[in-house]
Amino acid sequence: MTPPEDAHPEVGERDDRLPDRATMGLLAYLSTHTVDEDYAFVSARRQRADGDAVGHAPPSRRRAGPVAALVMALFAVLVVTAGAQTSRNASSDETQRRELVAQVAQARRQLATDRASATRLRTETATLLSTQLSEDAAVRRLQVTTQLLGTDAGTLPVRGPGVRVVADDAPNADSARNEVLDADLQRLANGFWAAGAEAISLNGQRLTNLSTIRLAGGAITVNNHSLRHPYVLLVIGNKDTLPARFAETSSGQAWLDLERQVGLRLSITPATSLRLPAAEVSLRYANQNSGGTP
Amino acid sequence: MIAIIGLVVGVVLGLVLTPDVPLSLEPYLPIAVVAALDAVFGAFRAFLDGIFDDKVFVVSFISNVLIAAMIVFLGDKLGVGAQLSTGVVVVLGIRIFANVAAIRRHLFHA
Repeated sequence: MTPPEDAHPEVGERDDRLPDRATMGLLAYLSTHTVDEDYAFVSARRQRADGDAVGHAPPSRRRAGPVAALVMALFAVLVVTAGAQTSRNASSDETQRRELVAQVAQARRQLATDRASATRLRTETATLLSTQLSEDAAVRRLQVTTQLLGTDAGTLPVRGPGVRVVADDAPNADSARNEVLDADLQRLANGFWAAGAEAISLNGQRLTNLSTIRLAGGAITVNNHSLRHPYVLLVIGNKDTLPARFAETSSGQAWLDLERQVGLRLSITPATSLRLPAAEVSLRYANQNSGGTP
Repeated sequence: MIAIIGLVVGVVLGLVLTPDVPLSLEPYLPIAVVAALDAVFGAFRAFLDGIFDDKVFVVSFISNVLIAAMIVFLGDKLGVGAQLSTGVVVVLGIRIFANVAAIRRHLFHA
């Protein structure tokens, strides 16, 4: 084989100075030494060996052999496999997404159908009930009573004239001091009840005698629904007397003070026709324990 | 040209066989491809310079691919896989661009 001093031809030449990779910056070194130095090294060694044997390097050096072809084939397989894998992953992601979208759309359609059929059935039940029971005078009287009670209790939707009350925080409110609190809304509702309101809803939540207006986790909660300001009260009653009578109650006075002192906003506008939704009231009853004393 | 034939055969083989990559090797495939690309361009430039050598090409190709994959593997184990991959891609990218520039000078004398 080649003697060691021939195997490292550059070492002797560069002995007096440091190698490039020690003196150059990393990026400069990277962009100047792009080809593996082994190519130059091996060709120099071979040239030396051939020079010893023949005299000059034969031109057949440049030809790539079957090994190189094999490596090229390997390279091509690698590239094609990576590409195929990526596109396969992308297409499977896309398929999954499409499937999910289709499922959501299908569930939505199902929900809409179910809702429509529930509404239809409810109407049908009500119609059947009234036709079945309308013959009996006592039952009819009971039905009227139920209706009146339902209106008062808030379990039936109601419609009628009244006032629309909008309460909001002070402009650029920054603390709880100039925001509408649960106590303020309680006062507002109680004031309108005192002023002769027949039904009240707060941001679409019907107030019943089981409703609470309370602060829960930073939001005012009514019937377990979180509300957001501005708070809109729809009050059914006499639209001409309600605002005046509200102003006379202690709650009305308190709200006047709030408006003046911390800048809360309150506007009361009469409306000829308001629609209030029904509340979902579930009563809980105590049951007698049949198993005797515990 | 035997290398081009090898390339074409490889493409056809890859398309026909579409080998399934094991899930554990999947993250290293793109980096391996970039490293292989660097080796191939380097070899092409060496070929144009007239200093191409089969053995060097094979060794540089395989070592490039293995080292790139190993760096990413190590990075994954250390939790810096993405950053190390970026580093590898930047270094190899610089080399690929410089090599292509040299090849361009050779081919078009520009």
